[in-house]
Amino acid sequence: MIEARELTKRYGGTTAVHSLSFTIAPGAVTGFLGPNGAGKSTTMRMIMGLDRPTSGTVTVNGMPYRQHRAPLREVGALLEASAVHPGRSARSHLRSMAATHNIKASRVSEVIEMTGLAGVATKRVGGFSLGMGQRLGIAAALLGDPRTLILDEPVNGLDPEGVQWVRELVRALAADGRTVFLSSHLMSEMSQTADHLLVIGRGRIIAAGSVQQVIDSVGGGAVRVRSPRAGELAAALAANGATVTSLEAGMLEVSGSTAERVGEVAFRNGLLLHELSPCRASLEEAYMSLTQDAVEYCAHTTPTTSRTAKTENR
Amino acid sequence: MSTLTADPPTTSHAATPPAAAQVQPTFAGVMRGEWIKLLSLRSTWWALASTVAVITLVALAAAASLNAMADDPALAPGVEQMHGAEVISSGFQFGMLTIAVLGALLITGEYATGMIRSTFAAVPTRIPVLAAKALTLVVLTVVVTLVGVTLSYVLTMPQLSQYDLVPALDDPGSWRVFGGALYSLIAAALFSLGVGTLLRSTAASLTAALTVLLLLPGILSFIRLDWVETIVSYLPLPASSALLTTGAAETQGAYLSTQASLIVMAAYAVVPLAAAAVTLHRRDA
Repeated sequence: MIEARELTKRYGGTTAVHSLSFTIAPGAVTGFLGPNGAGKSTTMRMIMGLDRPTSGTVTVNGMPYRQHRAPLREVGALLEASAVHPGRSARSHLRSMAATHNIKASRVSEVIEMTGLAGVATKRVGGFSLGMGQRLGIAAALLGDPRTLILDEPVNGLDPEGVQWVRELVRALAADGRTVFLSSHLMSEMSQTADHLLVIGRGRIIAAGSVQQVIDSVGGGAVRVRSPRAGELAAALAANGATVTSLEAGMLEVSGSTAERVGEVAFRNGLLLHELSPCRASLEEAYMSLTQDAVEYCAHTTPTTSRTAKTENR
Repeated sequence: MSTLTADPPTTSHAATPPAAAQVQPTFAGVMRGEWIKLLSLRSTWWALASTVAVITLVALAAAASLNAMADDPALAPGVEQMHGAEVISSGFQFGMLTIAVLGALLITGEYATGMIRSTFAAVPTRIPVLAAKALTLVVLTVVVTLVGVTLSYVLTMPQLSQYDLVPALDDPGSWRVFGGALYSLIAAALFSLGVGTLLRSTAASLTAALTVLLLLPGILSFIRLDWVETIVSYLPLPASSALLTTGAAETQGAYLSTQASLIVMAAYAVVPLAAAAVTLHRRDA
């Protein structure tokens, strides 16, 4: 459980995080979505007690992170820039963290196995690929077997197999009753992994709720309907308050209504339908439309799509 | 305010595996973590090895130069006045250089690589980390100085014996010198750790620490003003030189008394560390 109240972070004149209030519930995967510079990493660092909020509070499992007696048991975190000394081996890095909490060496070996690092555990981290670095970060996050996991861009740099692995891992952790909070700007990834979404832009919450709620909040999606008596159907739907546009002969696009409503109207009027299909906005479209303003704010830089692509390839 | 609730709470509450009951941070654990971090880096071994090497080599060079001194009629009487322990400890300033580098890297290396976030995530109260680093550094400095001085003692023995300068181990004067060297090296290491914690950047910390520790006395020696000379006498190198003497410092022509030198060196160790401890808690990692 993560609870933020009016969480704000200002760096000089810039407000990176603006009065965020949210609750991340256990037993589910919550995606933290937003364009670069939206304040995701800053928020996560504040949750971890690494950065001090300018105002507001954030607690994890009921307490500010710094006040937990066994912090690694409460929260495991993978933070964006790999927080590892490149001159040390993966095993030494994990052993040094484990030592602080008196975590047994067997647990270090366990997380090394779990994350598939067994073959490179004694190699210096400086020679790791981005994907291996991510696996090490996830291993460190799992070390204390924490109740809450905070993963900043966990799939960044992973190959498809690795992405699949992270997806299954976080789903399993959430099914176990843990709180899983992961950030990403890979929308497609989120739709397959997250139960809930918290979308931010320019340090403010733009949307929050289940994945479907967030998508629905953007225009609600349209309904396509085909009927040999399209003209009559259009009139009946319009009378029902829906907006109807004719795409081609016999084909209508209805917005401001649902597939159920359209079917009901057709049935009551005795109109035959050949096709009735809801066109859901994809998460990608929803995200684009939600964050448009946030991105436009820094419009001189590269557009979102190419920024996303760049980070993916990093 | 937006609340994201799990649909039906899938399991009663978060899993708490039984094995984890006693798992929590202790200062001993933090210490062990620091040891693992320190000994798993090559740079540590380089810094330690070069400290030992530098202390030993300079002692050897100083012992070898006794021949030249003895041959020079103007310097020959000086040789008899010397104490063997001073010859053996003559590499201590250079040892100060490498040990100070190690002290600064201990913390700036973590800031430079981002490791500090892992460290502070594990120990969010932070102060125990600084305390553990300081303690680790003291232990290392003691070990390295002991090894360096012992090696110097043994290796310079053939040369020193020619002039009857091998320091007697029952001579309190010898122990004063060795003790003074150790005390000064510990102070220099801790000073550097404190400066590194305050400045965070490796380059800035090394520049600041080495300037104060080693360079300033040389730079300021060109200024012949009373008050500048007074300041110089309080700098670490002159202050510690007063400790590396066989008798009481004030009888050896040093500006500071032994006691004053001990206090001044302790202040160099403690003041930056205390300031670092205060700021460490407040600043973003």
